[in-house]
Amino acid sequence: MYCGKGGTSVQGQKIKKKPLLERIKRDIRKNYLLYLMLVPGIIILILFKLGPMAGMVIAFEDFSAFKGVFGSKWVGLENFRKIFQDKYMLTLIKNTVTLAFLTIAVTFPFPILFTLFLNEVRISKIRNGVQTLSFLPYFISSAVMVSIIYTLCSPSYGLVNSIIKFFGGDPIYFMTEPGWFRPLYILLQVWQSFGYSSIIYLASILAIDPALYEAAEVDGANRWQKMFQITLPQISGSIIVMLIIKIGGIFSVDLDTILLMYNPSVYEVADVIQSYVYRMAFNSSGFPDYSYGTAVNMVKSIIAFAMVMLTNKIAKKYSETRLF
Amino acid sequence: MRKKKISLFDIVNNTVLIGLALLCVYPFLYVFFIACSDGAYLARGAVTFLPKGFHLEAFKYVLQRQDLNVFSGLRNSFLYTLAGTAAGVLVTYMTAYALSRPQVKQRYGLMALFTATWIFEAGIIPQYIIYSACGFVNNPLVMVIPSAINTQYLIICKNYLDGIPHELEEAAVVDGANQLQIMGHVYLPVSQAILATIATFYAVSIWNQYMVPQMYLKEQNLQTIQQVLKRVVITTGDQSTAFRNVVQNGVLLNQQNLKNAAIFVAMVPIVCVYPFVQKYFKKGILIGSVKG
Repeated sequence: MYCGKGGTSVQGQKIKKKPLLERIKRDIRKNYLLYLMLVPGIIILILFKLGPMAGMVIAFEDFSAFKGVFGSKWVGLENFRKIFQDKYMLTLIKNTVTLAFLTIAVTFPFPILFTLFLNEVRISKIRNGVQTLSFLPYFISSAVMVSIIYTLCSPSYGLVNSIIKFFGGDPIYFMTEPGWFRPLYILLQVWQSFGYSSIIYLASILAIDPALYEAAEVDGANRWQKMFQITLPQISGSIIVMLIIKIGGIFSVDLDTILLMYNPSVYEVADVIQSYVYRMAFNSSGFPDYSYGTAVNMVKSIIAFAMVMLTNKIAKKYSETRLF
Repeated sequence: MRKKKISLFDIVNNTVLIGLALLCVYPFLYVFFIACSDGAYLARGAVTFLPKGFHLEAFKYVLQRQDLNVFSGLRNSFLYTLAGTAAGVLVTYMTAYALSRPQVKQRYGLMALFTATWIFEAGIIPQYIIYSACGFVNNPLVMVIPSAINTQYLIICKNYLDGIPHELEEAAVVDGANQLQIMGHVYLPVSQAILATIATFYAVSIWNQYMVPQMYLKEQNLQTIQQVLKRVVITTGDQSTAFRNVVQNGVLLNQQNLKNAAIFVAMVPIVCVYPFVQKYFKKGILIGSVKG
């Protein structure tokens, strides 16, 4: 990897370079402690991060667990050809993108509005208290969140259905009706994440120059005008960047939540690419089709990778904020 | 600044926001209310927003019943979180430190590899094949070793170390200190906040993980509390076979008591540490998002 090209400065051209091996030896002798520190990290990188990348080669094979990665039959692009013939793929793509777009449409504006109003709270105890409480759900596991939704929405004893029954309605089977999957998933996402996003927005609001507000006050601006004509435009940079990054991550869904929430009766709307791949490998009734699943996931990953790189580049243009 | 009088806007705004904040946490309280309510009232549907009757028998019952694995799930989650966080902080800090040293000329290449493998997801199937070849199936180490470097936290930690002025170590270098001593005596003391931040990140993510243990830890006595919840609360639905009405110490417990008791014990450790760690979390979010 490191070949020392251009590593020496101007004098390097006059003084004859020492042989490569010699230089590597010296470098290691001098910095061996630093390299030792890197050992665990590099092992993790190679085995658990690069290893699975190399394992993607099974997408081009007819993988069998008995024959292993090296012994399985090479089939070339056969699995990828299958993707285009798979009618279910359209449903999966539609579900993945629809779910992601709806989630962005709701979870994105909500914390912005919330933060704008939170910023108007003058009593700092209330402001901090509200922020702390709204941030708590972010820490709670998907399993707990979904369990709570399950018990709240239970048709026989859940609070929600008790209220519906109290007003004379019929109980709704929230967890098995396809129409309710997306609203419940999005509700969970909002509940879990708006406190998190609001921390980022509040930080950028705090960076606004107070002189702007003073000038507006002199001009007789009221609260609403200050909120929507100073605060909002001033944080628009952060807002745009957050939106771009969110769009870049459109293929990453909250898989834990989906796996916990969905059941065969809602597959038609709840099944996304990742959950399908998961099921194919770990929950299928017949033989797990590792190769096809890997091929499907690989296509998704390539598109998602391109999206993230592109949006990250655009985000960089807008401001310092970016994903990496 | 002149004192402003409280306007109608303030009253409405404060009320709505406080209401929203309470709405966020009310479901967590509700779980507790149901768990400690009297089973007889629950059966009649007489419990709505507040508890009726009070007892802690449901908690005792779910923790004592061996076949539910609630207790062993909690114990396992605790151990995995403890070991995973220790490994994560140690390895991440060491790696971030070495990668922030100019002497390590391969640092850009290594960082690029970490970032690339983070953004490009190989997917769960190739991961499963590699991990199972490493012997991670039904091995609790799957919660500790592969996750010991999370690229996002590595970037946060490295950015922080990059931001520390190098003048700080000059005296130590003159004294002939080696890299380990410089890390331990110069950088570690000023890194406490970032260490606390990534420790919090690791701990919460390990505790909350569902898919990884579900894929690798299939034996019931190895499972985490999140897997247990999925089995006893979510999968069984309303016609729960795991929970039937029982009478313990003269208190009737029905399946609502028991399910909510199980949910409550799964979230109570997080809720208890939350007040102490939230400031580190806020810090981490801001470092991670603004400075990138």
